[in-house]
Amino acid sequence: MNPFELICPAGNPAALRAAVDAGADAVYLGFRDETNARNFPGLNFSRAELAEAVAYAHARSVQVFVAINTYPQAGNLAPWQRAVDDAARLKADAVILADLGLLDYAARHHPELRLHLSVQASAANAEAIRLYRDAFRVRRVVLPRVLTVPEIARLNAEVDVETEVFVFGGLCPMAEGRCSLSSYATGLSPNKQGVCSPASHVRYEPRGAALASRLGGFTINVFGAGEPAGYPTLCKGRFVPGGGASADPAYLFEEPTSLNALELLPDLKAAKVCALKIEGRQRGKAYIAAVVAAYRRALDAFARGQPVPSLDLDAMVEGGSQTTGAYTRAWR
Amino acid sequence: MHDPGPMVQEHAPEDQARNVEVRLTRAGLGLARRLGDGAGGLLLDRLLRILEARHPRAFAALGELPDARLLIDPVDAPAALLLRVGPGLALRVCGRDAEAEATVRGPCARLLDLLEGRIDGDALFFRRELSIEGDTALILALRNTLDGEEMDLFADIAAAAGPLRHALPVARRNAGRVLGLLGTARRFAPPPLRWGMAVLERRLSGPRQGA
Repeated sequence: MNPFELICPAGNPAALRAAVDAGADAVYLGFRDETNARNFPGLNFSRAELAEAVAYAHARSVQVFVAINTYPQAGNLAPWQRAVDDAARLKADAVILADLGLLDYAARHHPELRLHLSVQASAANAEAIRLYRDAFRVRRVVLPRVLTVPEIARLNAEVDVETEVFVFGGLCPMAEGRCSLSSYATGLSPNKQGVCSPASHVRYEPRGAALASRLGGFTINVFGAGEPAGYPTLCKGRFVPGGGASADPAYLFEEPTSLNALELLPDLKAAKVCALKIEGRQRGKAYIAAVVAAYRRALDAFARGQPVPSLDLDAMVEGGSQTTGAYTRAWR
Repeated sequence: MHDPGPMVQEHAPEDQARNVEVRLTRAGLGLARRLGDGAGGLLLDRLLRILEARHPRAFAALGELPDARLLIDPVDAPAALLLRVGPGLALRVCGRDAEAEATVRGPCARLLDLLEGRIDGDALFFRRELSIEGDTALILALRNTLDGEEMDLFADIAAAAGPLRHALPVARRNAGRVLGLLGTARRFAPPPLRWGMAVLERRLSGPRQGA
């Protein structure tokens, strides 16, 4: 038996089929509105598409989790509550929530529905996790990407709630659910409207052989000729510190690099992590098929006690480079 | 006169079949450009209708977008395409400097891969193989809509050709062998014939616009 569940992203029905066919144990997805944190044009699922997705996945013994992980706006709770109701009605295996009020609504109205706590809730200590468990019967917590593996091990020793951790894909600046960088530049919130660096506010400009990315009127990065590019997020922007005293723009928050925790599988197993999550609902089905298949092969080899095959995924990832991120905190 | 040599390199059979499809796409663009807005426009209208019949969900989504023009520029092809999304969905051949709300530029093979969901658009962007300008939301909406489909341009076209659709898988399986035979034949052909074949291939592909 494999020690980990493999939780995979899907931004559309074709991507869901790709994830299921490539070996996902569960697929997470969102509705086509502001109730999820990947609210991008042309992405996500209608109710009818969710019904088809659940049928496709369940026929192959794969679970479907619905991310309803943005924060409802005051006076406009209906879209979020309707999303929970519809996910339950359409037989989703779990909903991934962040907001306290929505967790309370789901626990009261759908007591049979399995509740997972989104990474957007940023629950990073045993007290917080116990509160979510006791108050709302949360069964699993997606841990924010701020903890080292030893910290995760200590946390799991203190709580009896399943933990899920990201192992591959884009990284956030360690303030999940609380980041206002994109809101500052665009007036739209990742946490309320589900749009970090909304495409409507992003522009790319060729500058000779270089490429400038702009967000909400601010130039946030310039990639030199041939330099691998990254997402147009402020956290991965290059800035001139010291009020312009320095001539060289530098990454202040994060570099455009992608998480890959494959080498940490033995440590994550020892830390009693239950599920491994691949980021990337905004990515194409080709990415999902490639990454899920690679991780499936790796997890199966690991379960058999065989050497874990290395993943040749550099060409797929942001900035063309990979990191183990906070799990090892190599920068300390 | 310089002998250009064989144009088909040694690759796996599926890669060779793909190379042929990419070259046919470039040749098709060249043909549509030569035919002009009249006959070329009719040809592209027919192509859109074929794809719409095969992918109604995607085309309904494209029709619901605000009226906008997207310039699709395969930089190694003889012409670019102007896609109008919204209620008046249309596709036309155009120049590389055509006015549009958004532009996507990249090699023809990569754009074809992107259309068919064989490759991830973000990965292409990270590697700087794809460049985009203008209305990013429009480009993202189009990319995400197409990625939600299981599109296969040549299979979709073949499916509209009635019984001929059965020929495509056979052609794809045998493309490598046939191209190998053609390459061998070319190597043993007398020089004037080789040059004639090369000229014909260039004419089929058309001169690179703006080159």
